[in-house]
Amino acid sequence: MNSNIEVPKPRPINRSRVSYRTASIVPTPALIDRARLIYFDQKQSSPKVPRPAPIDRSKLRYHSLGTAVPKPACIDRSKLRYRSLGVVVPKPALIDRSKLHYLCSAGVIPKPCPIDRSKVEYSEPQLTALERNIHSPITPGAVNFPCFEITPELEAKADQRIAQYPADQTRSAVLPLLHEVQHHFGFISPESIDWVANKLNLEPMKVVEVVTFYPGFRQKAPGKLHVRVCRTLSCAMGGSYELMDKLCEITKIDRSQEDGHKDTISVSPCGNFSVEYAECLASCGTAPVCLVNDDFHEGITADKAQALLDSYQNA
Amino acid sequence: MSDIKYLPGKEPHANEHRLIFKNVDREGWDQSIDTYLNDGGYEMLKKGLTMDPKAIIGEVKTSGLRGRGGAGFPTGIKWGFIPPNNTKPVYLICNADESEPGTFKDRYIVHQDPHMLIEGMVISAFAVGAHTAYIYIREEFPEAAIILEKAIAEAREKGFLGQNIQGSGFDLEIYVHRGAAAYICGEETGLIESLEGKRAYPRIKPPYFPAAMGLYMCPTIVNNVESLCHVVHILRMGGEEYVKLGTPRNSGTRILCVSGDVKHPGYFEVQVGKITFRELIYDMCGGPKDGREFKAVIPGGSSSKILRCNESFSIGRGDEAKELSFWDLPLDFDTLAEAGSMAGSGGVIVLDDSRKISWVLNNITHFYAHESCGQCTPCREGSTWMRKISDRILEGNATPDDVKTLEEVAYQIDGKTICAFGEASAWPVEAMIDKYRDELIAETSEENEFKSPEQQEREKFLISS
Ligand SMILES: Cc1cc2nc3c(=O)[nH]c(=O)nc-3n(C[C@H](O)[C@H](O)[C@H](O)COP(=O)(O)O)c2cc1C
Ligand code: SF4
Ligand code: FES
Repeated sequence: MNSNIEVPKPRPINRSRVSYRTASIVPTPALIDRARLIYFDQKQSSPKVPRPAPIDRSKLRYHSLGTAVPKPACIDRSKLRYRSLGVVVPKPALIDRSKLHYLCSAGVIPKPCPIDRSKVEYSEPQLTALERNIHSPITPGAVNFPCFEITPELEAKADQRIAQYPADQTRSAVLPLLHEVQHHFGFISPESIDWVANKLNLEPMKVVEVVTFYPGFRQKAPGKLHVRVCRTLSCAMGGSYELMDKLCEITKIDRSQEDGHKDTISVSPCGNFSVEYAECLASCGTAPVCLVNDDFHEGITADKAQALLDSYQNA
Repeated sequence: MSDIKYLPGKEPHANEHRLIFKNVDREGWDQSIDTYLNDGGYEMLKKGLTMDPKAIIGEVKTSGLRGRGGAGFPTGIKWGFIPPNNTKPVYLICNADESEPGTFKDRYIVHQDPHMLIEGMVISAFAVGAHTAYIYIREEFPEAAIILEKAIAEAREKGFLGQNIQGSGFDLEIYVHRGAAAYICGEETGLIESLEGKRAYPRIKPPYFPAAMGLYMCPTIVNNVESLCHVVHILRMGGEEYVKLGTPRNSGTRILCVSGDVKHPGYFEVQVGKITFRELIYDMCGGPKDGREFKAVIPGGSSSKILRCNESFSIGRGDEAKELSFWDLPLDFDTLAEAGSMAGSGGVIVLDDSRKISWVLNNITHFYAHESCGQCTPCREGSTWMRKISDRILEGNATPDDVKTLEEVAYQIDGKTICAFGEASAWPVEAMIDKYRDELIAETSEENEFKSPEQQEREKFLISS
């Protein structure tokens, strides 16, 4: 090979001055006679191979998972021989864990006692920030609504809404589709977000960001009667805070968990009622006002709260 | 029009001049197209479609119509902003997102007289050359969305919408698009983003003026419901005649919505600038509740600056300047601007002496903290700060310095944001502090000053020695 290009010879190390430190003293290695070494140019010596051609995946045949292969027989472990470095060794004896002592830096500690799972309280699962945004906590109101399901009627309604916008701007239909979902299924569930995203050919994130932005979309089931009380100035002067208190008293709703921004809906334990504060409902002259589901009611002072709920008794 | 009868108890006041609200609370009136046609409806549409679009824009310019959505910008001039060499489709959007606290005029139009709005929209769309129009209606009007969709279907059936309207060769489709309870969707660029299916983050102007780069980056005209309805009447009366209503530069009629502490709150359609606060609040709304006195008035929706009832203002320039007490101020765009506030959306909120300013301030700051879209830092953080400080003042945990901090925060939002929400949230706070500083400071106490444990120890020592 003519690739033995000469490279400058490194200065010899004066090994007599080198002191070797290892656990045990070893003799200093014999000096290498560097004069006899031939240095290779790394670059040239490594052979070049052509880059593999890309695989034409369209021609690959995939085996369908459907073809049945026999289930492998259970391995009889008692017959196994363990081989270490080629020598057959006996199977290790089982460890009697009751005799083990647990070590920690402090010394021997007692074995931990088993957990009594019946006493463990399970909390809401730990969610990541993204999961929290699409999570729908279960409320007592869930019994009032069917589970999300893609029906032909839903598809037809959706197509009708999508047709309202230019063919290349179907993203505009995000709000109308979410309204359809909320109208039929009570709230926006993670599955329905996927459906809307699929329907409009969007990344699900683009639907999630809309759902979490608009106070008009809720992510948990409200009660059968969802009351939205206006809390803005004119209504507050007309007594809407008192109306809210009265409604909560009648329906036994506890609003202490309500956080005013993200989770604004409080549902009664029976699941029939829920309340929420709304901002100005554009009828300030007839304060205080509220919306019950889709019906608007004006001049509902606290003393009329009972009558308002009673009027829905047959609903 | 004298033969129109109104429902008992809902008759218009003698000072009113009803154009837009002609059919609101009218006896025997309903939302069907037949009722509207029997009353001479859709005649102006037929007339408009025979005119030159430029002539319609000309009439609207002559009429001096100013937008009723809040900013008071002349409608005819806005229509003229569409680039002349434009080749993209033009869109017309009706802003029915009425959500400015204190305003409740569009509600009655969309619930009771949907065909007047549709007629106004067809004429306006024809004038600006739009073939697709959207009505962006707030989510809290579910009933109105159904009424409007029904009215659109009826109008289509009778050939007032769709292809080749009334044989004029003009095509127009109107669709209803429901919002989702966000105040910021009322801001026109936020509305456009929302209509595109995104978060309602307003766009920065320039360059995103809707008339040039609006919906889908095409020229777009956004107008308030009331503004669009006025177009019908301008065409009927002619611009020359219309401009005689109201006062110079403030022509036509507008709907004032009075709420709060008056005997008879309600809506009144009056000629702009012909009515003073005294006439509106004492004569038309019956004055204060028994045993009460008026304290302050918010004249144009909660975003406008509060006016004290015992203030006086110098209105007009040079020789024409005169000193007017609050009660003698006429309610028009220019006078209220000179008085340091604005006519805004026409929502007049009246407060009497039973109201604590700290309570009012707290309610309003909660509204703006809830509704900020969160795009610009001064607005997002500032509105939350203002809410927290006003909470402290209301709860009696504030120090006199807090009032100053609150004022500083407000001035740091104002003028530093993408959309006018920044001003809308800061102005009421600035004005309330400016005019009621003493009252607010009286609710605070030096004792609430935060003291570190070290300081507390030190003070104990100082006192005992
Ligand atoms: C924060 C904010 C909220 C607004 N809300 C509304 C509204 O609810 N309704 C409305 O018609 N205009 C609203 N506007 C005004 C619109 O941006 C726009 O000026 C108006 O729709 C134009 O119509 P006009 O020229 O007919 O007034 C709002 C503006 C801002 C800055
Ligand atoms: S000013 Fe407020 S509402 Fe307007 S864009 Fe900025 S953050 Fe959003
Ligand atoms: S304040 Fe309640 S409707 Fe406007």
